[in-house]
Amino acid sequence: MLSIFDPLRDITVLSVAVRMLLSAVCGGIIGMEREYKRRPAGFRTHILICLGAAMTTLTSQYLYLVLHYYTDMARLGAQVVAGVGFIGAGTIIVTRRQRVKGLTTAAGLWAAAIIGLTLGAGFYEGGILATILILLAELLFSKLEYHMLEHAQEINLYMEYNGKQTLDCVLRFYREHELKLLDVEITRSSDGEKITSCAIFTLRLNRKCTANWLLNALHAIPGVVLVQEL
Amino acid sequence: MLFGGMLGIERGRKGRAAGFRTYMFVCMGAALTMLLSQYEYLMLNGAWNDIAGEIGIRTDVSRFGAQVINGIGFLGAGTIIVTGKQEVKGLTTAAGLWASACMGLAIGAGFYECVFLAFLLIFLCIRFLPYLETAVVERARNMNIYVEFTSMDDVGRIIGQIKAQNAQIYEVDITRGKESRAQQPSAVFSIRLNHRRAHEQVLTAIAELETITMIDEV
Repeated sequence: MLSIFDPLRDITVLSVAVRMLLSAVCGGIIGMEREYKRRPAGFRTHILICLGAAMTTLTSQYLYLVLHYYTDMARLGAQVVAGVGFIGAGTIIVTRRQRVKGLTTAAGLWAAAIIGLTLGAGFYEGGILATILILLAELLFSKLEYHMLEHAQEINLYMEYNGKQTLDCVLRFYREHELKLLDVEITRSSDGEKITSCAIFTLRLNRKCTANWLLNALHAIPGVVLVQEL
Repeated sequence: MLFGGMLGIERGRKGRAAGFRTYMFVCMGAALTMLLSQYEYLMLNGAWNDIAGEIGIRTDVSRFGAQVINGIGFLGAGTIIVTGKQEVKGLTTAAGLWASACMGLAIGAGFYECVFLAFLLIFLCIRFLPYLETAVVERARNMNIYVEFTSMDDVGRIIGQIKAQNAQIYEVDITRGKESRAQQPSAVFSIRLNHRRAHEQVLTAIAELETITMIDEV
C-alpha cells in the first residue's frame, strides 16, 4: 500500500475523478494494442467496459461509505465478473475449419473489466500494476509469437493437383521422409472435364528436409500443378 | 434518463442497432432498480419495522442493482453479430449499453459526482475516439482481407499476389461457393505486412488479378 494514494482512498470529488480517469486510461492502453492488431474489440470497447466496471465499485462504496446503507460492498462488483463474461462470449467465433478465434480478445476484455473494478474501488496499486503487466505481456509475447512463427518447424503448404492418385503419392512421400502431417484440408472443384483439387497441408519438418527442398521435391511428383508455402 | 438519451442520440445518429430509446430504457431501468431497493430499505426501517424485527430480515441495498449488471451483459451479447466475413460487429454497442446501465445504477444511488464525469468520459469516448481509431488502424501492419473470386483454381494465384506484396500469410480460410445459388468461392486471409504501407495500396495491388470479383478489408 503506497502512502501517496492514501488521500484518495475516501469518496471525494477528487478521488472519483482520479479513479474514473485512470480507468479510462488503463482501458485505453489495453484497447490500443488490440486495435493495432485489427481485432474486433478496440479502444472504445475497452474504455467503455473499464469505465462501467469502475462505476459499479464506486457506486457500491458510495452506498456504504456515504449513504450508510446496510449493504455488501462487493456485491455490485461481483456481478461485473459474470456480466462481462457474456459480452466477451460474443467475440468468440468458431470458423468453418473448427478453429476458435477471438478468445484472447474476450479474455482481454474481461481483464479490462477487472482492472476497472480495482481502480474504481481505489486499489490503485493493483490496477496500475496489472495494466503494466498486461501491456508487457502483449508486447513481449506478440514479438515472441512472430519469432516462433518465423522459425517454426511447422509449415503450411498450399497445393493444387490432378487426380486422386497424386494425393496418394504425396501422402506416401510425406511418410517416406518422416514428415508428420498435422492437418489437411482438401477442396475439390470440377470445371467441365478438368478436375483440379487443392489441399492445404500443415507439416512438421525435420532436420533433413528444408522448406525449399520440400517444395522442389513436391513439384517433381507427377500430377502436382502448383505448390506454395503459406 | 436524460443522460441515457443523450448517449443514445449519438449512437442512433450512426444508425446502430441500439439507438436513442434503447439507451434511455436501459439507463432508466437501472436507475429504477436502485431506487426500488432503496425504497425497500427505507420501508424496512419505517413502516415495516415491526415485522422486520420479528422475522429478522435485513435487505441488502445493492442486491437488485447487482443483477442489472449481469442482465445487461446478456442483453449486450445479443447485439453482437458475426457476419459471413468472420467480422464481429456490435461489440462497441454492447459495451456502451453496459456502461450506460452502470451509469443508471450510479444515478439511482444519487451519486451525481460520478455520473457527470462518467457521462462526459463515455460521451467523449464514443464521439471522438473513432478518429484516433482510424489513425491507429491505418498504421497497423496486420490486415484481414476478405476476397471473393470466380474459380477455385485461382487460389494459388491470389496467394502468389499477396506474397508479392511482401507480406506473410498467417491464416487462410477458404469457402467454396455453391454454384446452384450463384455463390462465389471466398477466402479470408490474415496477413502481416513486412513493411508499413498504406492498406489501400496493398488492396488495389491484390485486386489487379482479374479473377477477383470483390475485395474487402475486415
